[in-house]
Amino acid sequence: MNPHTPVFCSIVPPHLLEHLARSSNPAVAAAARRTLIADASARTSRVLPLPGSAPTLAPADVGRPHRTVYDCERGTELPGVRVRAEGEDATGDSTVNRAYAGLGATFDLFLKAFGRDSIDGAGLPLLASVHYDENYGNAFWNGEQMVFGDGDDEIFLDFTLPVDVIGHELAHGFTQYTANLEYFSQSGALNESVSDVFGSLVKQYALGQGADQADWLIGEGLFHPNVQGTALRSMKAPGTAYDDDVLGKDPQPGHMDDYVRTSRDNGGVHINSGIPNHAFYLVATELGGKAWERPGQIWYDVMTGGTLAPETRFSEFAAATVAAAKARYGDGEEIQAVLKAWAAVGVPTD
Amino acid sequence: MRIRVRRTGGFAGIERSAEVDTADPDLRSLAREVLAGGSDERRGVPDGFLYEIAIDGVTIRCCDPDLTAAQRTLITRVLKEGA
Repeated sequence: MNPHTPVFCSIVPPHLLEHLARSSNPAVAAAARRTLIADASARTSRVLPLPGSAPTLAPADVGRPHRTVYDCERGTELPGVRVRAEGEDATGDSTVNRAYAGLGATFDLFLKAFGRDSIDGAGLPLLASVHYDENYGNAFWNGEQMVFGDGDDEIFLDFTLPVDVIGHELAHGFTQYTANLEYFSQSGALNESVSDVFGSLVKQYALGQGADQADWLIGEGLFHPNVQGTALRSMKAPGTAYDDDVLGKDPQPGHMDDYVRTSRDNGGVHINSGIPNHAFYLVATELGGKAWERPGQIWYDVMTGGTLAPETRFSEFAAATVAAAKARYGDGEEIQAVLKAWAAVGVPTD
Repeated sequence: MRIRVRRTGGFAGIERSAEVDTADPDLRSLAREVLAGGSDERRGVPDGFLYEIAIDGVTIRCCDPDLTAAQRTLITRVLKEGA
């Protein structure tokens, strides 16, 4: 199996994939076929982190990013026109340059904080497409690359502006290559939370901030000036990032008592992520210092440890962080901080 | 013809919806094409938008980035022109 194969459909039951593989829409059919092949292979290796690809890189290239930025020129064909590859000079387009720098900042965090060569641990090239569609107020990970819109001139500005948004998208790739958490319900909220955690760590690492200096915001600076809000999400205080006449109020809970049950947004994956987000914030501020060191290492160990099932629930993830803290740091302040944090957000760890 | 579009998901997780009751032949033609194409039952990609397009009571589901041209145009127009 090629580990670069997108697995975004692996959350779909095989019987449905088989149906989709016969779809009259060629893109749907091709994606379903790819996933059926990838899934069959992945099922046999799920207990371990996905192995790295065969060593196709020269030794000198190990531990270096391989970035390429593409320009969709406001269309929707991916990846678009190649505009800046690794080592090439900055272009006159600040969106392209921000994406390139953000890919580099994310690569740096994974390499220097966790010794991981790219998001798959095997030097995966990092690809980003910018200027996707017209008035497109979103960014996403399509299973193979990051995609950024320019914003909608009404609510959102350019999605390459906050470096934590770039880190968030690439962290979806990290999750895809590690625990592969299903993008639905509690495992989906954990998938989202892991992207917020590592996205925030990318920003904190780039700025050299300690846990007490970080803003713990996701998407700070992304809102159009007309919107009443500082960011999309707050890990420090879920539910307080924005309160706007048009958008309404930030709906994120920070405690299981306020868990939102909904069928929308894949079961509220961008809403309930506030709960594990806040748990990470509490661990980081309890331990102090740089959040990518001990707190980040515990979360990283959980994601790469091979113990999480794709449909992991909050309590199972929480228990895994306790086990990871103990395995790496013994019976010290780390495990106590982790236990205290999950208790504070109402998630059991036993 | 009554067409309602609801968009959920996305990086921000902020929902948007709009509805039109239209006699515009272009919109009606797009809507018929979208109805004929049926739903894409996949769950979508991380942070991708998810769409529900309700046309005279029949709901079609689809998601980014694999929209058909008709789905994309219909969604854009209804979210822009609808209330």
